[in-house]
Amino acid sequence: MNCQDHWHRGRDPRAINRRWFLEQCGVGLGSLALGEILREQGHASSPADPLAPRATHHAPKAKRVLFLFMAGAPSHLELFDHKPQLTRFNGTPPPAELIKDYRAAFIKPSAKLLGPKFRFARHGQSGAEVSELLPHLARVVDDVAIVKGMTTDAFNHAPAQILMSTGSQIFGRPSLGAWTCYGMGSESRDLPAFVVFSTGKKGPSGGGSNWGNGFLPSVYQGVQFRSSGDPVLYLSNPPGIDGELQHDSLEAVNTLNRIHQSVINDPEIATRIRSFEMAYRMQASAPEAMDLSREPAHVRALYGAKPGESSFANTCLLARRLLERGVRFVQIFHESWDQHGNLTHDIKENCRDTDQACAALVTDLKQRGMLEDTLIVWGGEFGRTPMVEGGGDDGRDHHPNAFTMWLAGGGVKAGVTFGESDDLGFQVVRDRVHIHDLHATILHLLGFDHTRLTYRFQGRDFRLTDVSGEVVRGLIA
Amino acid sequence: MAWLSLAAGAVAGDPGARVPERVTFNRDIRPILAGKCLKCHGPDARERKGRLRLDLAEFATAPAASGNRAVVPGRLAESELYERVTASDDADKMPPPKSGKSLTPGEIELLKAWVEQGASYEPHWSFAPPVRPRVPTVKDHAWPRNPIDAFILQRLEAEGIAPAPEADRATLIRRLSLDLVGLPPTIAQVDAFLADRRPDAYERLVESLLDSPRHGERWARPWLDAARYADSDGYEKDKQRQVSFYRDWVIRALNHDLPYDQFIIEQIAGDLLANPSQDQVVATGFLRNSMINEEGGADPEQFRMEAMFDRMDCVGKGVLGLTIQCAQCHDHKYDPIKQDDYYRMLACLNNSHEANIAVYTPEELRRRGEITSEIARIETELTHRSPDWAERMADWERRMKGETAEWTVIRPEYEEESAGGEKYHLMDDGSLLAGGYAPTKHTLVLRARTTLRSLAAIRLELLTDPDLPRGGPGRSIKGTGAVTELRVEAQPPDGRGQPIAMKFAGATADVNPPETPLDPIHDDRSHRKRVTGPVAMAIDGKDETAWGIDVGPGQRNQPRKAVFTLDKPLAWKGGALLTIHLVQNHGGWNSDDNQNLNLGRFRFSVTGQVGVVADPLPAPARSALATPRDRRTPAQARLLFSSFRTTVPEWRDANQRIEKLWHDYPEGTTQLVLAERERLRPTSVLSRGDFLKPTKPVERGVPDFLNPAPSGAMDRLGFARWLVDRRSPTTARSIVNRVWQGYFGTGIVSTSEDLGVQCEPPSHPELLDWLAVEFMDGGWSLKRLHRLITTSAVYRQSSHASDGLLERDPYNRLLARGARFRLDAELIRDVALAASGLLDDRLGGPSAYPAAPAFLFQPPTSYGPKVWNEATGRDRYRRALYTFRYRSVPYPALQAFDAPNGDFACVRRQRSNSPLQALVTLNEPIFLECAQALGERVIREGGSCDQDRLAFAFRVCLSRPPAAEEVRTIMELLNRETRRLSVSGHGPGPLADSPRTAAWIVVARVLLNLDEAITRE
Repeated sequence: MNCQDHWHRGRDPRAINRRWFLEQCGVGLGSLALGEILREQGHASSPADPLAPRATHHAPKAKRVLFLFMAGAPSHLELFDHKPQLTRFNGTPPPAELIKDYRAAFIKPSAKLLGPKFRFARHGQSGAEVSELLPHLARVVDDVAIVKGMTTDAFNHAPAQILMSTGSQIFGRPSLGAWTCYGMGSESRDLPAFVVFSTGKKGPSGGGSNWGNGFLPSVYQGVQFRSSGDPVLYLSNPPGIDGELQHDSLEAVNTLNRIHQSVINDPEIATRIRSFEMAYRMQASAPEAMDLSREPAHVRALYGAKPGESSFANTCLLARRLLERGVRFVQIFHESWDQHGNLTHDIKENCRDTDQACAALVTDLKQRGMLEDTLIVWGGEFGRTPMVEGGGDDGRDHHPNAFTMWLAGGGVKAGVTFGESDDLGFQVVRDRVHIHDLHATILHLLGFDHTRLTYRFQGRDFRLTDVSGEVVRGLIA
Repeated sequence: MAWLSLAAGAVAGDPGARVPERVTFNRDIRPILAGKCLKCHGPDARERKGRLRLDLAEFATAPAASGNRAVVPGRLAESELYERVTASDDADKMPPPKSGKSLTPGEIELLKAWVEQGASYEPHWSFAPPVRPRVPTVKDHAWPRNPIDAFILQRLEAEGIAPAPEADRATLIRRLSLDLVGLPPTIAQVDAFLADRRPDAYERLVESLLDSPRHGERWARPWLDAARYADSDGYEKDKQRQVSFYRDWVIRALNHDLPYDQFIIEQIAGDLLANPSQDQVVATGFLRNSMINEEGGADPEQFRMEAMFDRMDCVGKGVLGLTIQCAQCHDHKYDPIKQDDYYRMLACLNNSHEANIAVYTPEELRRRGEITSEIARIETELTHRSPDWAERMADWERRMKGETAEWTVIRPEYEEESAGGEKYHLMDDGSLLAGGYAPTKHTLVLRARTTLRSLAAIRLELLTDPDLPRGGPGRSIKGTGAVTELRVEAQPPDGRGQPIAMKFAGATADVNPPETPLDPIHDDRSHRKRVTGPVAMAIDGKDETAWGIDVGPGQRNQPRKAVFTLDKPLAWKGGALLTIHLVQNHGGWNSDDNQNLNLGRFRFSVTGQVGVVADPLPAPARSALATPRDRRTPAQARLLFSSFRTTVPEWRDANQRIEKLWHDYPEGTTQLVLAERERLRPTSVLSRGDFLKPTKPVERGVPDFLNPAPSGAMDRLGFARWLVDRRSPTTARSIVNRVWQGYFGTGIVSTSEDLGVQCEPPSHPELLDWLAVEFMDGGWSLKRLHRLITTSAVYRQSSHASDGLLERDPYNRLLARGARFRLDAELIRDVALAASGLLDDRLGGPSAYPAAPAFLFQPPTSYGPKVWNEATGRDRYRRALYTFRYRSVPYPALQAFDAPNGDFACVRRQRSNSPLQALVTLNEPIFLECAQALGERVIREGGSCDQDRLAFAFRVCLSRPPAAEEVRTIMELLNRETRRLSVSGHGPGPLADSPRTAAWIVVARVLLNLDEAITRE
């Protein structure tokens, strides 16, 4: 019996599951046996399959995460945090004590206050206040927790994004997605555990370090997908290599690898064989997962998705398809919210591009019964200044002290508005949630004690939340 | 159980282990304390609980806050430590349950035995300088080839394991080639080695590989990882930088076997050596490999400090083998590095400019030398030709001295929002130094007050500065800048009244280049004809024209000045409030790239004198003129003469010849380096590492638990010498451990970035010390170390593993077999390139752009559009070491195989095994091109029958002939694909002209994808 039997039998490679592989392939048993040995000897950090599903510290409420990273930093003052006082004091300088020691990226801290540009109204049974720019979200607010007391430490994009993604402003730490996969493993045998999309006007300021594995094993790194073309780099067979040729070649590669394995007896060869198997399966399963035409028209309409486009809406629908197929962590970077100027026009356009699909995710996951164990996180790296930027009274600078995010599903309390900023939306005055607290809470929902999900590196047990972070109980259902 | 002191220590993680007869602190106790206790009872005073410190005997045996002693040597019952670790009540139990840590029964037993045996402490092994240990005697005298083997064998004999037999010769030459030069051996090399029956054939092979220039390329890569080398800045903009001279320096240094101590000294402080060569200055690029954040609004000082922290981390991991960055925010929790120590070390490095200098290839250096000596020759000739030159020059000097106006420097404030995210720092001399983000178009608005009663002219000085590209005075990559327009408004000094736009009668400057179109990099895609030219262009009201200062590579990076005269002097009582609009619109379309043409450092002055013009003398010449003749340096004298000669009408020809020579001056390239500041920059301890929260100032110094500071100044050079002092306990151990790691996959200390208290204990502690001392005694020669390791018997073992051995020693820490591990990312590409014959073997030079998907470098994948001009010629097939490295968009084929992206120092790569790697070697274009070229090569060179061809292909890829079973598998594939591709309606497709060639390409692709092809074994 050989590991390529299913090819001869014409079986869909996607149907080949892990158990089959282990049962049918002696090599798989070899590596499993090795894994046992390693565990017995206390090398729990190097199990045979670093992506095997793993038990968490406590029962997880969320089994997968969809992080909608609104990079560039959306204005909380235009979207969620309604500040009538800001309207009242429009055009006047901010109180001196408020801006003492305040540093801004572009403006003088004493720049005049700028009133909100849009109207707000209360929605749903929860009565959550949402701006007129988010009519779709307004319809699902009862499923969402709006967190108005967010605060962060950095006010430049790249460091702030890296802080949001990795818990540190220093580049090179593992990302939230990587930690999640490190802790939980993967439920998909033929798709990456951690998938990343970029849908905005540009890529995120922090670049690939936003989904890096840091010092964790590199299998936990986010894999960039594209919503059009080859979803994964080098997924398609190159010109001149048709399906049969690829199949025959892989069979030969694995046969020769097995011959060599019988001589040299290195379990790494068994792993290599498995990697080629999985690559082959991924070649079939990834395009299928990414094929929006397989979605019924009404679902596409719900998102506003149009097959063939590389839009945020399409990407959200793809994300749902990937989550359904066992992908643990999907992160969509939508970098287009940096409204130093042209605030009114651009934020309106951004909401038009994103609001419907964000709300559709909530609706769609809910109707599929997936919302209860899928955590959705929406937000940017910081907020925007209540003070104006630019002569046209139509822009805001970076503001780390207070901003808004929302969470839904995955054990999050539904229909709450949590925390509060002051009358100008400048400082958090109630239920402050620091990035570390957000991370602690997300890990808690995923079944982890954030102080115990650690990795030994450079002589120290590192964790996502470094030395701080409190689980925000008020956000947990 | 004889598993002692391997990996996690004697019993850590192994509850069932027995307690050894004699407990030793470093082996048995320290790992327990470090892992479970020291976080709260360690060196960090602020985190310390109960005033108890367990890492040092004097504190552990003293009464703690409770009044009890944690450790009373020999008296278990009186030792609070034992009571607490065995407490059943959660409130008393140590470690506290909520810490998430607990002791195993085995660990508790060890602690018990340790206290009973007298609780003796030892200093952490790596903090005492290595002493050459005695080479152990072993039973098997036949096996060891050098002392390394005795250390390994002693352990194996104790474990009752026999070493593996020597690998076969084909395996050995492939292993040696991959290890020493990073390329597989050619068939001819294999044949020659197989046929070489001389007793020292192996040693000769080692020598020839060590002599190969490829050796430097192979071993440069791990050092470049430690040096966090990348070709871009990182962060949001992630702009290109030019640092390949540094990479070439590393390659050359390794090829020349520059002693490691000197290798470090030059990288930390090469610029401070006496009469440093260009190479020695380039070496300081090591510390400059830090990331640079120039996103809009970023504070340059904040990110300079981030870079300083990164440099400390790099020096810690890369040179000292210690993780010191914990002490950035607080005393180190495990190692005795205090926060003060950290900032004292940082102070040694903190007195530098972030310089960016022009550097030249050897050919350019030669050309530059020719030009300067030719100019000197012509100038000397002029003096010979005109005997009265000295008097005429003295006349000229007198005249020039008289032609100076009284200028009053104004100290402006700038409107933050007008800077477009750029930051301007007001210097002591009233100039503004630009830093951070560099928008390609912005109009800076400055406000300044003058008390002059009459205002007749305004002077703009463009000043050089070591922190600017090529020294400035501008911020473009050439160090140039341009003034699109200068507008000035005046108001009465009380600020009342409408500002009046001032009219200029004219402008003069000390440089007025002819009208020149902008460089392509400054194209703003407006399709307008945009130019730089004489200073009049700064006041012509046109956005397309600007005053430029680019007069060619030899003379462009000099201070310049322009004087703008008012059409009629402004005469207000009490002076005026000036608003200056400095329009800088001559950058390109993309502010996320290196397209700015902004001013870098500049200063405004005003005068009431009427009729003044810009001083035609360059600033350095003016200062030479002010120096009394007998006190001028020869350089100053030459400088003055060079100005003088241009004023002599009959020397027109000579002047023109000299101008032409300047015109031919080589452009060179640039390199980020360090340059020492004149005035010492103060350093303070920063509260929690926050650059806005300095607490107390510190002097330059080093921690006292390491070797003492050398006498003399602790500047960067003193610090560098301290790092490589013979008495340094960790420096030599750290590098020999990493070289060992390169050969065996794992270091003797597996945590090669950290030899501190928390490190994994060494598998062979005495061998590590022996190697470290031997290395230093051998003149810190890396090649000698490579030779020593590769000629040992332990290195030459076969990597075949028996089931029993695999079970007993899965990580091969005992080294009873040869090491077998996947090649590093770059070598995987290099093997394919070499096997295919495509490899371009030019040594050094700028980074190359091999094939990559274009969308990676464009939004929304990349933050900004990035340059990736995919190479079509030889550059496409350069060794992967030379692949251009963007930090934010790592080259995918390398990233998949764990190449680090240079965000921080990396001294130990991961070695993953993933499906994405399979997709790369199967489907990535360059790998496919390699398969194609190899398939064609096999037909061309592999012989006349398929059996020969297959043997050829195997030997090219794997350095060995195929076994019968392998031949069968491949022949089956070859014939099947030939048949399939021959049937009508199918054809060979784009791979090749004929089905047979296509089928051979398929075979080549299979071979290049084998585990064995990407593994050294």
